[in-house]
Amino acid sequence: MGLLNFTRDPVPEAVSGDMHNLNQLSAQQFSSLTEVLFRFLTEPKEVERFLTQLSDFATMNKISLGPLKNIVKSILLVPNGALKRNLSSEQVRADFIALGLSEEKASYFAEQWKVNSPTLTRLALGQTLMINQLIDMEWKFGVTAGSSELEKVGSIFLQLKLVIKKGSQLENVYVELTLPQFYSFLHEMERVKTSLESFS
Amino acid sequence: MAALRDGDFAALQILLKAPSKDAVRQLCQECFSSPPAALGPLAQRACPGLAISAQEAEQLVSALHNLTRHVVFRGFTRAEDILCLFPENFHQNLKNLLTKIILENISAWRNEAQASQISLPRLVDMDWRVDIKTSSDSIARMAVPTCLLQLKIQEDAALCGNNPVVSALTVELSKETLDTMLEGLGRIRDQLSAVANK
Repeated sequence: MGLLNFTRDPVPEAVSGDMHNLNQLSAQQFSSLTEVLFRFLTEPKEVERFLTQLSDFATMNKISLGPLKNIVKSILLVPNGALKRNLSSEQVRADFIALGLSEEKASYFAEQWKVNSPTLTRLALGQTLMINQLIDMEWKFGVTAGSSELEKVGSIFLQLKLVIKKGSQLENVYVELTLPQFYSFLHEMERVKTSLESFS
Repeated sequence: MAALRDGDFAALQILLKAPSKDAVRQLCQECFSSPPAALGPLAQRACPGLAISAQEAEQLVSALHNLTRHVVFRGFTRAEDILCLFPENFHQNLKNLLTKIILENISAWRNEAQASQISLPRLVDMDWRVDIKTSSDSIARMAVPTCLLQLKIQEDAALCGNNPVVSALTVELSKETLDTMLEGLGRIRDQLSAVANK
């Protein structure tokens, strides 16, 4: 096997056997299986649903679930590596062929990959590390009517509650701003937005 | 907040022993700014300058503190209001001098009172930077802009005395979060304008 695009590590031995088994599936069966796989890849939280659909596929096509799961594990190696390395659909197709999948099935899978890759890319981007991510902001503003030092005040205050994700926990930070500070803050945030937009 | 007491005006007349008008001015400012707990040491420092006993100094300093804080509390801006506070038999010139000094300082003192009032932790400074994320363990190549915002927050001044604790908090915002935040801030601005225009 020549150099693969989706990985630099040696591929597990079982993979060529699994590809051979895949080749035995009809085009229709391969298409259904591919659909199940991509539905899982685009919604990775739906593990239960994925396992149920695999089990249904196994029953309907008279395949044992155990070997089917191994085949699926082997197939998934390619899209996972492809996502990390921003591979094109041609590269995905070439890799499947190099692994032993028929040209027809490799082309079909690569086509599905092309269709789904914007969604998959967006998902992977969403998983990127963020430091102290700002999750939510609550605010209230009001007027200070009086204090122990000043009988009548009439000044406006603004209070912000920032909800921040520190590691896996949420932390609340409370801050008070005066009116001039608020306008200055708003102005700066608008500058940030302009800056972010120019890079998008 | 200090309230004016009966003995205060008698104590104020001790100021007649002051060497100069500037000395009186200086003492007024120090007495206003000092928190009640620090009045004792302030009285000790004032003793030698005025050639008075420790007890007289304490009474004087306390009286000046109460008078200046009372005027600021009530928010007086006219000489008449301040002059009215003094009893009939109070020394005329001293009364006029004190009123003049207070009027000179009143707006600075109001600002000082407002700056030190209790509040939630205050924002004292804010800095930002925009980064472009180019790579991560989940994707080898990308170009995602992100914003890092650093807020410097000062704990309640009243709790920290003269050494306020300032902590720096750095937060990361994605473009989506920033847009939502700006929407919220815009709504605040609109509501503020509505209140201002009423």
